[in-house]
Amino acid sequence: MRYWQETWAVAQRILTELVRRRRSLMFWCIFPVTVLYLNGLILAERANITTAKAFETAAPSTLVGAALFFSCLGGSVATVVAEREQHTLKRLFMSPLSGLSYFLGIFVAHGFIALGQTLIVAAIAIFSGSTFQGVLPGALIIFLSVMAYVGVGFILGTQFARRTEDVNALVAAFGVPLLILGGAFLPTQLFPQKLLDIAQFNPVFHMNEALLGIVAEGKTIEEIGGHFFFLAIFALGVTLLGWLSYRRMLQVERRL
Amino acid sequence: MTASKTAIERVATPMLKIQNLTKRFDTPQGSRLALDHLNLNLNPGEVYGLLGPNGAGKSTTINMICNLLQPDEGSVEIAGLPVSDATKPLVGVTPQENLVYPSLTCAENLNFFARIYGLSKQERLRRVDRCLGLVNLGDRATSPAETLSGGMRRRLSMAISLIHQPKLVILDEPTTGLDIEARYEIWELIRLLQSEGVTVLLTTHLLEEAERLCQRIGIIRQGQLLAEGSQAELRRWVKAEQIAVVETSQENHKAAAIARAQSFGYGIRHYGSDLAFWLPKTLDLRAFLDQFNGIDLVGAALHPVRLEHIYLEITRLDAGA
Repeated sequence: MRYWQETWAVAQRILTELVRRRRSLMFWCIFPVTVLYLNGLILAERANITTAKAFETAAPSTLVGAALFFSCLGGSVATVVAEREQHTLKRLFMSPLSGLSYFLGIFVAHGFIALGQTLIVAAIAIFSGSTFQGVLPGALIIFLSVMAYVGVGFILGTQFARRTEDVNALVAAFGVPLLILGGAFLPTQLFPQKLLDIAQFNPVFHMNEALLGIVAEGKTIEEIGGHFFFLAIFALGVTLLGWLSYRRMLQVERRL
Repeated sequence: MTASKTAIERVATPMLKIQNLTKRFDTPQGSRLALDHLNLNLNPGEVYGLLGPNGAGKSTTINMICNLLQPDEGSVEIAGLPVSDATKPLVGVTPQENLVYPSLTCAENLNFFARIYGLSKQERLRRVDRCLGLVNLGDRATSPAETLSGGMRRRLSMAISLIHQPKLVILDEPTTGLDIEARYEIWELIRLLQSEGVTVLLTTHLLEEAERLCQRIGIIRQGQLLAEGSQAELRRWVKAEQIAVVETSQENHKAAAIARAQSFGYGIRHYGSDLAFWLPKTLDLRAFLDQFNGIDLVGAALHPVRLEHIYLEITRLDAGA
């Protein structure tokens, strides 16, 4: 009960701040919409398929490959860095707030943002005539993707990004290549074999392939087993590392 | 019998008890002793001023009271309990910076921390209203913190530290950087806290602030408590009834003034560039100037012995030792 109250307090605070600032929320709405339209229209034209089919194929990679990356990973890093910059982390350290609740609060807040982005992407695709399957396993993959992104965001925010400027640099330096290699902007079928071999180590690639397989191609969890397990293990691993990073940050930054 | 003994023990239990607290930090230059067997007791309901220069160990002490740092030696107890995460709800801290969420309103800031401290919804509503009223921000409940003035933000930061009704409130330089009006408001709030039986540990560089508010004062330097007591008790460090600060036109007049002061048995002190004499009995300015007849004094002023004189004396003696 205590953890839940703390978690919900942290999540609600992050969401209230986002609503107050508006700008980030607007960008996080605009971004998946433009990426989906660009991906969908290019795919329809070059692959010579219907718009509905193109949007069906483009929606999963647009969502987990691009939109959630920036909102959940970038957002988590920004949340931790902002707390550090405005020194509110100190106040949290002095309070009885547990590290677990803090992490879960950030996760829940970004889960809500992910839910909003999912609804936007799905609504546009469905409006264009696309149909999706495997809602529950699809939701599970989105859940694991959010967990993975928030976990990585926590690690970057607590260990590497000291100031707001660092967030942009980190996301640009590591994020954009990972997204391209994950198939967020270009279908992985176009990749040369060497790049495909490297992509096997990229969690974004597995998120894309898993969600694409389930919701667009109607596959089962067993059929996308490799991608799913990679994603699940990665999500759990970075969550654990995120927790350890938070503990380390506590040791380093506890002083007033 | 047992009940009355328990009651006596409860009264005798200090709100904050620090015993032999020692902390070393490893720096590139080697190990630095931040706290050196510090002992400190705060009685329930008192306002205690902890004074000392930067780097004296005040913040390290606060960090340990908040269980943010572990001591190398010694112990800290709050209301008889060893410091741990479980004692965090007993303590409210107003740090030096205004630690508030800028885009949240005053009420939202308070409500957030009230939830973190596990207050029920009804209790939260009551406490948020009460704390906003305490710090005179009742009419700014729906204003985002970023729209408040510096003084208002500091008061909001104080309100946050009071939201869970702590038994011990730590105010770390609460009026630094504030204008005089805002300072008076904070001082009024500290008096109000004391009237409600809250124990306050106040660190400050403003000796006037400590003079006005604190029942007892501790002077800390290089991690050691040099002196402690009420202002009357600390007064014994300065063996004078009055302090005269004089200004001379030339160095040779200064030397003559010092020689004359010594002939009257006055203590000689240099407070920065000011030359000061300790007078064993009070004089009016005319009588004092008559004693320095023939010496070109450009300026002279007589002051009662203040905390600043006591503080300077104690730290001077420590530096000399």
